[in-house]
Amino acid sequence: MESRRTALTWLSSVGLFGSAVLSAVSNLVFIKPRATYGQPSRFAIGKPDDFPPGTRISLDVKRVCIVREGNKMAAISTTCTHLGCIVGTSDTGFACPCHGSRFDQDGNVTGGPAPKPLPWFKLSLAPNGELEVDKGQAVDAGSYLNV
Amino acid sequence: MSIQIEEKGRKTGRVGDLPHEVWTSVFRNPWPSNDLERSSTSFTNFFLHIHPVKVHKHTLKPSYTLGLGLISFFLFLILVVTGVLLMFYYVPSTTQAYDRMLDLRGTVAFGIFLRNMHRWSAHGMVAMVFLHMCRVFLTGSYKKPRQFNWVLGVLLLLVTLFMSFTGYLLPWDQLAFWAITVGTSIAAYAPVIGKDIQFLLLGDSTVGQEALLRFYVLHVAVLPAVLGLLAAIHFWRIRKDGGLSRPEEEDALPAGNSGRGPGARARGAGRGGTAGLRTPGFCTRSI
Repeated sequence: MESRRTALTWLSSVGLFGSAVLSAVSNLVFIKPRATYGQPSRFAIGKPDDFPPGTRISLDVKRVCIVREGNKMAAISTTCTHLGCIVGTSDTGFACPCHGSRFDQDGNVTGGPAPKPLPWFKLSLAPNGELEVDKGQAVDAGSYLNV
Repeated sequence: MSIQIEEKGRKTGRVGDLPHEVWTSVFRNPWPSNDLERSSTSFTNFFLHIHPVKVHKHTLKPSYTLGLGLISFFLFLILVVTGVLLMFYYVPSTTQAYDRMLDLRGTVAFGIFLRNMHRWSAHGMVAMVFLHMCRVFLTGSYKKPRQFNWVLGVLLLLVTLFMSFTGYLLPWDQLAFWAITVGTSIAAYAPVIGKDIQFLLLGDSTVGQEALLRFYVLHVAVLPAVLGLLAAIHFWRIRKDGGLSRPEEEDALPAGNSGRGPGARARGAGRGGTAGLRTPGFCTRSI
């Protein structure tokens, strides 16, 4: 009698605890999206001719700044490394409106609370002649694409 | 005996008795005119039985608790009622949310009134819950046997703050957008799991449609359910821990102790209900 009671207690405890763990884990898996519907990490931004030499054009919606010096081009992130606001271009580089972080033209921190420099993203030329930015792939600061 | 016989006689069932039967089934007690009937009314009524039939007379002293807990609860009730009404007109979509919010202010009947009630009650609830916590701390009411209720209270504060945070995004204006951008970026600074928390909250890498939908569901369904459950256990524990926190009875203290020291207050707050019931200080609470 006693052993049957113990066995049943163990069995139901393991069952209840198991289902609790199972539902917690599956909820966590469920809540993590497998597809996202926002801005894709890789996107085309136009032909190199749209960016004349010497320009720095911020694409606020894409959160990236396209830099062209002569025939060298690069894509620098405009998402502040402090708390995610969009940095604006300034005379000396970039400046964040939220908490006053400042960056130089290459994205290095020159002031404010930002802990890291602005990352550079991989810029490539697609076969159709369009420039393509891949925000999933960071590259070393100073690596340019020759067009 | 005579009453029972009369009851038996009525069992033959006359249709004319039906309204009376329904009436007495709903209004089960006569209008109370003495302490026993008042107790019975309080005890058998779902809405009144949250209060004990009898309370310690010091519990009736409003200057001790300042009613901050109940004020928080009533603000929550206002938030539920106005929130459900706002849900009839709000759409959690990036293309519609802001316009719907403006429509609530401009075209919906009583919309601006409901929205402002919701907004001010939300601010008020955060403030009142915080002040309630301060009061509990300053009166030492978190001490034995109320430790578990303090833990519940801490959880309730966190859920209240999370309710406030999720609701902040829903107007979908610039203030909301950047506040949630910054807020979730702060969450991302948490060690190891920070980035995952941010991704799970936003459902994407930046604040967008997924984030708006997630915050909406958390705000109108998940968090209110959690808060309601925790609040129910919180209230239940008050009764189990001996009723509302109250000052020490002065005459119950040993001679030489004025009863004004912090230790004396804490002992008073921690006194159990069964011990308190036998003290002469109890009185019937008027309904």
